[in-house]
Amino acid sequence: MNHYQLTITVDDRQVVLERILQVTRYRGFLINGITAVVNTGTKIGTIELMVQSTRPISLLVDQINKLIDIKDVVVTHDSVNG
Amino acid sequence: MANDQKHTGGSLLFSVLQAHGVKHVFGYPGGAIMPIYDALYDSEVEHYLCRHEQGAAFAAVGYARASDKVGVCMATSGPGATNLITGLADALADSIPIVAITGQVPTSAMGSDAFQEIDIFGLSLACTKHSFQVTDIKDLARVLHKAFAIALEGRQGPVLVDIPKDIQQAEITCTLEDLSQLRNKVELPPVDVTQAITLLSNAKKPILYVGGGVGMANAIGELREFCNKTNIPCVSTLKGLGAIAPENEHYMGMLGMHGTKAANLAVQQSDLLVVVGARFDDRVTGKLDEFAPNAKVIHFDIDQAEINKRRKADVAILGDLKVNLPALAVPLSIKAWQDECKQSSMDSAWRYDHPGESIYAPAVLKEISDQMPKNTCVTTDVGQHQMWAAQHMAFNDPSDWLTSGGMGTMGFGLPAAIGAQVSRPTDCVIAVTGDGSFMMNVQELATIKRFQLPVKILLIDNAKLGMVRQWQDLFFNGRLSETDLSDNPDFIMLATAFDIKAKEITKKNEVKDAVSEMLTHNGPYLLKINIDAEDNVWPLVPPNTANHDMMESK
Repeated sequence: MNHYQLTITVDDRQVVLERILQVTRYRGFLINGITAVVNTGTKIGTIELMVQSTRPISLLVDQINKLIDIKDVVVTHDSVNG
Repeated sequence: MANDQKHTGGSLLFSVLQAHGVKHVFGYPGGAIMPIYDALYDSEVEHYLCRHEQGAAFAAVGYARASDKVGVCMATSGPGATNLITGLADALADSIPIVAITGQVPTSAMGSDAFQEIDIFGLSLACTKHSFQVTDIKDLARVLHKAFAIALEGRQGPVLVDIPKDIQQAEITCTLEDLSQLRNKVELPPVDVTQAITLLSNAKKPILYVGGGVGMANAIGELREFCNKTNIPCVSTLKGLGAIAPENEHYMGMLGMHGTKAANLAVQQSDLLVVVGARFDDRVTGKLDEFAPNAKVIHFDIDQAEINKRRKADVAILGDLKVNLPALAVPLSIKAWQDECKQSSMDSAWRYDHPGESIYAPAVLKEISDQMPKNTCVTTDVGQHQMWAAQHMAFNDPSDWLTSGGMGTMGFGLPAAIGAQVSRPTDCVIAVTGDGSFMMNVQELATIKRFQLPVKILLIDNAKLGMVRQWQDLFFNGRLSETDLSDNPDFIMLATAFDIKAKEITKKNEVKDAVSEMLTHNGPYLLKINIDAEDNVWPLVPPNTANHDMMESK
């Protein structure tokens, strides 16, 4: 099982967090931790997501990137590649 | 402002639909969407009342797939909205641009378990490309514009807009937004095809593997030009049928679970797959680890998430097929491989000399394909009849072939044919269905009757859930569990009850004339053919088996 941390930057729009959680579960990633904050001035949210899976993290990154309100997805920690 | 107009939420909805060129919508009214239906009363948009919201959703899908337009469906809150879900899921799986409008209980009642309240916004997350809930009348026009933009941009898909009743009734004075603001979120870097050209030029046994993305990209011309320049042997997925010209001498038919023997063997032997708008679906690959084991892969797609999802690409070419495919069109020196593929196609050509007296469904479908007018649009349901249609009919364009590919939804064919007929009123539309699937949305015969749509229905009746029966026979020791439909209604009487002319045939020598009668009838028509319940779809690649290990008989 590989562990990853993603930093996801989003437009703060309706149910964006639910969408990310739904995609994460459906694509086979277990969530170990989450933090989410919104800059109420810029209306940009930052979500730190800790996940684990046997699947490559690129599969999840590509699927989250497809969501409409996503600005950026970065893998900030990867237990496979250090 | 001079162009400002006073609207209710309901009237604004139809103004925006019209601004996007929408002339037809499919739907079913109910309590929480009544203000929208009240505004419809004054609108120029034509509404097609279906007899179930699922029928409305599939009609919208058929409308979109048969044309280059967005399909629009509407339903009320609660059960109306949940009944749309299967259609939305189908559209998501096959990347079909539809916009679904749902009524919702008033904002003040939301979250109170009100009558006919369901969280369709939440339910939509897994079955739409995107969804919105409008909570302020000032957002309504912008959201609707965005719904159309999202449905159409990049990889297309369904978008749901949930509108509470008070928002439908609210008043606003506004000017409609400029539609030119629509933009494609998919920002793709310029493509370097040098490596792909090297791979293709060096390949000894290349195969072109064509998927539904070609039609979605409106790149049929570019694909056919690519075929003409390269003369590459080619195969198609279920959804890609129609993209390759039927007369292409290097075309080997459909690949995958019920693909042709020649197509599957050629793919397995190939040293290079040029994959165009396809996604290595499990029904295509069979056992993934053994799919085209010696082939490198050039993968063209619009969706980054499809690259390396199920098969690693040696070269990925992301972007617009219309631009990228011509760059790879180079002449190839592969005569030995072309000859081998052609010979294989000839050796495994379809045969229609079915033993016995009973009607052979593939022969009927071949007969229809030969007799039908050039611009005919064929829809299917799901099961044996669907695979026989895919195998034995020829299509000139993917928009002439509407079948539920990714979701495999029984009940798709009849309402999809309604949508197709509305979008292409002068073209012949044929719904090929089975006796199991037909009953899943049979209420739409009433829609055909109401609008006198000249849809032709070929009902292939084996009094079974035939595909499941086939699998039970082959893979579950013949334990036929819940697949007998011998108590089906009298389908001729049923069609007649909806004022639809109907005929039943049981003998081979009746087929030609019956098909001719159906195709030339001026109005809706149902032709029922009774087939042997033991007839199977061949070839068949058993589950989790390599495609070269296909079964050709029991």
